Parts: sequence; C-alpha cells; structure tokens
Amino acid sequence: MNRLVSHRFGHWLRSAALCLTLAGCASSYVVLLPNADGTVGKVQVTSANGTNLLERPFQGALTSANAGQTFETTRERIQTDFADALAASPRKPVRFVLYFEAGGATLTPESQQELAKVVDEIATRKVPDISITGHTDTEGDANANLQLGLERAHQVRTLLASPQLTAENVAIESHGEKNLLVPTADNVAEPRNRRVEITVR
Amino acid sequence: MFNYTKPWALGLALCLAAGAAIAQEDTIGFIKTVKGNATVVSGEQSVPAVPGAALKKGQVLKTGRDASIGVMLKDNTMLSTGAHTELAVDDYQYAPGQERLGLVIRLAKGSLHYISGVIAKLRPESVSIKTPTSLIGVRGTEFVVSVDGDPS
Repeated sequence: MNRLVSHRFGHWLRSAALCLTLAGCASSYVVLLPNADGTVGKVQVTSANGTNLLERPFQGALTSANAGQTFETTRERIQTDFADALAASPRKPVRFVLYFEAGGATLTPESQQELAKVVDEIATRKVPDISITGHTDTEGDANANLQLGLERAHQVRTLLASPQLTAENVAIESHGEKNLLVPTADNVAEPRNRRVEITVR
Repeated sequence: MFNYTKPWALGLALCLAAGAAIAQEDTIGFIKTVKGNATVVSGEQSVPAVPGAALKKGQVLKTGRDASIGVMLKDNTMLSTGAHTELAVDDYQYAPGQERLGLVIRLAKGSLHYISGVIAKLRPESVSIKTPTSLIGVRGTEFVVSVDGDPS
C-alpha cells in the first residue's frame, strides 16, 4: 500500500470508527451477525465504489464503502443501535411432522398423540399462521398420490381445531410423491414418506 | 372428507384446492409484531399496521418515531425494523416445486434486522436487499442494515 492510499485509508478508518461510536451519527451500513445456532453466513455489499464480502461475526461495511473497507463492531454496539429492530423480530417458526397409515388419511397412533403439541404451539402465538403440506410414499399412481397428500393435509387441518385458525392464515398444499423424506424407487411403501409437515409461524 | 371415487367430486375438490391457492397467492407473509405508529401503504392507500394482517408484494411498511414492525414471510424469512423506516418486499417468488424462488427487499431508510428463510437456503443468489446506495447479497445468514434518512 503506498503512502497516499495508506493515509486516506487511515483517515477513513478514523471517521468510520468515530461515526460508529457516536450515538445519533448518521450513516448507512451493514453488519453481519452470527446465526442463532452459532454458525456464520456471508453477506456481500456492493456499492458504486466496490464490493465487500462480510464473513466474520460483527464485521460491517458502509453501504458506500470502497472495496476492502470493512470495520469490526461488537454485539453490545449492535444491541444498542438496533434495539428496536431486534426486539420486533417475530418468534421463530416451529416445524412438526405427522405420519400416516398406508393408503389413507389416518394418523399413526404416535402422531395422534403429537397433534396436541401442534395445537399447544399454535395457542402460544398471538397471531399464528401455519402451512400444512401433505406427502405420500411412491406406492401407486403419482396423480392419485397428489390427491392423497391433499387429503392428508385437509385431515390435519380438520383435526387442528383451533379458534385462531382461519381460511386466510392456513396454507394447505400437497407435494404428493415428489418430495420424499426418504428417497426410494417408484412403488415402494415407506412409512416415513407418508407424512404431513406443519410449520407454525 | 372428499370422495374421490366420484369423478365430479374429484373435480370439485381440485377446484376448491385451486381456489384456496388463488385466494392466498398474493399473500407473501404476515405482520407479527407492531409497536407505536406503523402503517402499511398500498399505492395511495395507507392503513395502520396490525399484528396478523396479511402482507402483499409491493406494500410499503412505514414506521414513525419509537415505532417498529416485525414480519414473517411464507418461507420463514424474518424481517424486523426500527423507527423511521421505509421497507418493501418488491419481489417474492416461493414455489420450490416449480423452481420459482426469489426475494427482493427495498430499504429506503431506517433499520432492518434480516434472518434468512427457505428461499435463501435453496437459492441464495436470488435474494437481494436494495438500499439507496448499495445492493446486499445474502449467503444464508442473519444481519442488520441501517440506512440514513438522507444518504449522502
């Protein structure tokens, strides 16, 4: 790095650091956060001046930054600067899988028990919305299985007798035999593929 | 329960399923949390944001002083804002079966906390967040963005 560039970079660094430590200082920037499970993804920030790849937790870049101009901040800083947005985050979705007896829309005894947990999860949410997706194994005709998946999803909807659910906040669909949990050849009976997946949001 | 042994019943069931899909097609998610003065703007029309309301593509979410709003999209993408924010989902495609996936968010001003959903997991390159001075690409992750109200 030559002297002039080094000087300019140093100047930028000081002003960015100043900006990020002074409350109310106007700036536009992106900061990568660690995921809830501890892993860290990547974010690419492209402006007219260049592209920056953020790949460390709490690494940030101004949205007008030149390439190579990133900064480091802290969890505490983000919790202060983004307190409102962080507090407004919705509760994470919860996923359930219910299994069926062969060839119909009858839940296995275990899954009948599990149903109560789904109802409980819905009840804990102020404004729930749910998706119910029916699946089958590969035994039989693909079109018949698309229908069977739909029948299973509707059966679950009927069993989830929750006053909070409406036509608008329930999405029902079928993937038939096209989305196998356990990959098999065609015409294979597989109990783990005879299922309905429910996401409670 | 539908009776699939009768052809007309099958036809009816398919129509009902298709009808339900059409009714919900333009709903891309739901507002989950609201604090303070927050509105949903559709064209010329502006209504107060309320928890449980359906969100459509192109609607602009606006928050005032000390306000915030939290949204969950159908693919489990979570967006939440702070005060003085203007945010819209300009494009939303979530049909993994038909290989249609895409998410374009526009943050005109304010602050955003973003947590990736299924679209970013299945096709990260189809997700972008636009700010007045940048384009943010997502590689399956969680981050925050702040946009100054008067970008220089």
